[in-house]
Amino acid sequence: MGFNLDFALSTIPTIIGAIRATLLATVLSCLGASALGFTFEIIRRGGGAPGLAVRFLIDFIRSTPVLAWLYFLYFVMPFYGIRLGAMTVGIMGLSLYYSGYLAEVFKAGIDAIPKGQQEAARSLSLSRRDTLVFVIAPQMLRNVAAPLGNYLVSILKATPYLAILAVPEMLGRAFDIASETYRYAEPLTVAGILFLALALIVAYGVKRIEQRLLASGRR
Amino acid sequence: MSMFDIWLGILQGLGITLEVTAYGLVFAVPFALVFGVAQFVTTGWTRFLVTAIIEFWRSSAVVVLLFVFYYVLPVMGVTLSALTVSALVLGLNTGGYASQAVRAGLQSLPAGQREAGMALGLTRPAILVLIELPQALVAMSPTFVNNLIQLVKATSLVSLVTLTDMTFRAKEISQTEYDPVAIYSALLLAFFAVCYPIALAGRWLEARVNPHKGAQRGI
Amino acid sequence: MLAQAPHPVSNVQTTPYVRVDGLNKRFGALHVLKDIDMTIRAGARVVICGPSGSGKSTLIRCINGLEPFQKGTIELDGITVGKNARDTAKARRQTGMVFQSFNLFPHLTVLANCTLALRRVLLKPAREAEEIAMQHLTAVRIPEKARAYPAQLSGGQQQRVAIARALCLNPRIMLFDEPTSALDPEMVKEVLEVMIAIARTGVTMVCVTHEMGFAREVANEIVFMDDGRIVEHASCKAFFSAAAHPRARLFLDTIMSH
Repeated sequence: MGFNLDFALSTIPTIIGAIRATLLATVLSCLGASALGFTFEIIRRGGGAPGLAVRFLIDFIRSTPVLAWLYFLYFVMPFYGIRLGAMTVGIMGLSLYYSGYLAEVFKAGIDAIPKGQQEAARSLSLSRRDTLVFVIAPQMLRNVAAPLGNYLVSILKATPYLAILAVPEMLGRAFDIASETYRYAEPLTVAGILFLALALIVAYGVKRIEQRLLASGRR
Repeated sequence: MSMFDIWLGILQGLGITLEVTAYGLVFAVPFALVFGVAQFVTTGWTRFLVTAIIEFWRSSAVVVLLFVFYYVLPVMGVTLSALTVSALVLGLNTGGYASQAVRAGLQSLPAGQREAGMALGLTRPAILVLIELPQALVAMSPTFVNNLIQLVKATSLVSLVTLTDMTFRAKEISQTEYDPVAIYSALLLAFFAVCYPIALAGRWLEARVNPHKGAQRGI
Repeated sequence: MLAQAPHPVSNVQTTPYVRVDGLNKRFGALHVLKDIDMTIRAGARVVICGPSGSGKSTLIRCINGLEPFQKGTIELDGITVGKNARDTAKARRQTGMVFQSFNLFPHLTVLANCTLALRRVLLKPAREAEEIAMQHLTAVRIPEKARAYPAQLSGGQQQRVAIARALCLNPRIMLFDEPTSALDPEMVKEVLEVMIAIARTGVTMVCVTHEMGFAREVANEIVFMDDGRIVEHASCKAFFSAAAHPRARLFLDTIMSH
């Protein structure tokens, strides 16, 4: 049972068709992880009991594998009557998992803002809200852009986990073909190569955007 | 099945989890050292090749890589046990990350170290082994701890290629017992129980190795 | 021994004065301000000087409510500073502060740096805010840099923008915390010139600085601090010609011999 090149090539269109699902999962998970991670960081900064709880939650998430979280959400939610599609559960799982890491990114991004900025804003009598919106947030966003870009690529590389939940992204589609034809090597190799290419393209794109941000903002 | 029984059942897979981890280190550690040093000392086309190999293993999605190797190798006539394939893929992926830490550690040493070695008449390999690597490895040890945690968490994937690790056990138990909350919380806790102590050890290391780095870098 | 400077010009604001009573501050175990008593009248131009570590920066930061303190009171035009946030914020609306490290907002243009507070705090419409900002940027002699970003400016230029930014809000008292200490020597002059021009408008000024030449020319009162205490508070003329306290004389000798 050798490697059938023709068959392999024939799987390409199907798997390319799944790129949309892969990218959708990536972007939505990144947004979810950012929102959740940012929230975690704000709560952590607030200190007290909630701050401590969040710190422990983040430690917990980071000491557990993403696959375990995907299984947890996928099987536990229906138990409580929450029925969501596999893609949604997958995005929730990835968002939850990466929020732990992104909280750290936001922390570093906020800490990197010089203390003098807040002092200048206070001296100018800017309200707390205005200081946050006009002085702190823009600088924080510039600081987190690069690490966020890197995590976007990491999240992209985690989307194949969703195949376990039968989400029709690239790896999932490859498995669909394999289970129909009983030929695993060809679709998986194609998926592997295409996925690597996609990851390289996205990583390159992120790098270019970072460079442009660096060029415009600082100079 | 009581929570306790579930917990024990899942822990039956701990042996495999640890075995895959250990076996993976057999691949990861040499790869990280050899290729990390290689990236540090080589130039030109050789370096390009070294970087390409590192990037292949580091930047690929582990999920995809594991399945591709698992299904394609037999077709190519290479028969390896599931354990070996898993250890190979996970180990080299982790090794790819760790090689970057090795390289970064070497690059961060002051040039004077090498010059002092040369002034003493040591050969380049001797300088590497006796002077540079010891310092670099100690300095990067917290990062290596992170890599180790990464590896342990990645072993959850082997449950998908028939190895009976903790994740596999959890799924197995869920076939006969409908108690997803207990089962999958136990799975998360099991991984936490293994990884969190390692994370704490890493923080302790970080404090010893980088005492002036101020606030927690977080793991 | 406090001389009243003449108030020549239109822009004289009436009576904010600074009153510090029994101020004590510690940083952990370090006692940085010890029983500070100080009164500054409206229109005064006060230079606070002294050796490093004397607490002069800390003092001026306390006056603006940027540092908490353990004992004593600070009042700005009758408003208590440092006790509760609302009063402190109220007091701050009358003060403008210039920092050693400029603290310009790096993501905003020079013009936007100046108009931000005009629009958000004084609620001026955009066009009026821009006009006011350009007036002050012209006064500090860099109107052409309005659309540039702080990173594109030299240190001296950035500090002048910072001064303009503070002046835009028409403060009654200007606080300067070592405004030229972070500048290369050739840029110190341009900033001092701007500060001299400000002094002529009659606004109350409190300036922590090492630039004794500037102090001599502009200040009408000198406050000399050493080791957390006010050692001497005299008229400018009296301080330079016949400083009373031996430590002050020692400081003057060291500084002036450069």
